[in-house]
Amino acid sequence: MTTPTVSTAPVPSIATLAKTTAIALVVAGVILITLVLPAEYGIDPLGTGERLGLTALANPPVALVEMPKTEGAALVPVMKGPIGEYPSGFKFDVFEIELAPYEYVEYKYSMEQGASMLFAWTATGGLRHDMHAERAKGAGDGPAEESFDKQDRKQGTGSYAAPFTGIHGWYWENPGGEPIKVRLTTAGFYSGAVEIKSDRSRHPHALQSPESLAAAASGTP
Amino acid sequence: MILKQLAVGIAAMLLATVMLSAHDEYRIIGTVSKITATTLAVKQTKDGKVITMKTDANTLVTRDKKKVARNDIKTGGHVVVDALGDTINDLLVVEVRLVPAPATKE
Repeated sequence: MTTPTVSTAPVPSIATLAKTTAIALVVAGVILITLVLPAEYGIDPLGTGERLGLTALANPPVALVEMPKTEGAALVPVMKGPIGEYPSGFKFDVFEIELAPYEYVEYKYSMEQGASMLFAWTATGGLRHDMHAERAKGAGDGPAEESFDKQDRKQGTGSYAAPFTGIHGWYWENPGGEPIKVRLTTAGFYSGAVEIKSDRSRHPHALQSPESLAAAASGTP
Repeated sequence: MILKQLAVGIAAMLLATVMLSAHDEYRIIGTVSKITATTLAVKQTKDGKVITMKTDANTLVTRDKKKVARNDIKTGGHVVVDALGDTINDLLVVEVRLVPAPATKE
């Protein structure tokens, strides 16, 4: 018969465990303040992020966006009861793309906080879909990116009011092995449109004025 | 000793999280042209360009949303790769999806 071996290592006391936990929390807090906050959110109270070059990581091109410079005043609505007045007219846009198997694309509009648009899109097959927005630099506190409708869809129709200044729009992913066509039509108070491909390249799109719509309408029988 | 190990562990985890989350995510779609213990090269369907990416112990390999073994990746097989990096020439593979050959245009 053998005698079971018993560990002779001392069991830490409650006081030791509490001390260990407290020290771990302090260390984690220091790392949070000196490394994580500067790198992830650009919050750098001690200046360590700038010295270590971490604050640059908090501003990657997709996480926090630069709003394009536009002619005239920014399209910020002035609300008068139910009416939103803007310094200039709305724009119109049609975007069409064929997504190759497993490919994705993002299509987004530059909008000021409170600006609105109408949209309608359809696809020839079911897509992974995420209507979301990316906050512009200096556009208040909050997450860099926020999703508003994340589910598989084949079409969508609605109106949208930008909750913060930034770029706002859609992520569409073809989940299968057949190509899928997507067609989006919008009208709204946006100042630019950008297509972001799966290789992260960005392609600005020209917008149309309401006058071009009127001209097209008058040309129809 | 325990305190030191704990601190180092926490620091390593947080640093890894920071480094990974600060990168862009790229999608590479194509066929496997070469696989080694630490790299995966994929010939892109869209332009025929070969993208060589790093892999590590955290690289996930799936088929039909189920995890499969790394050696299920075969040269010539169709894959959808999600990878993180600052540029397309410096990517670390997060996930490799083994997918059927996509439909080809007539």
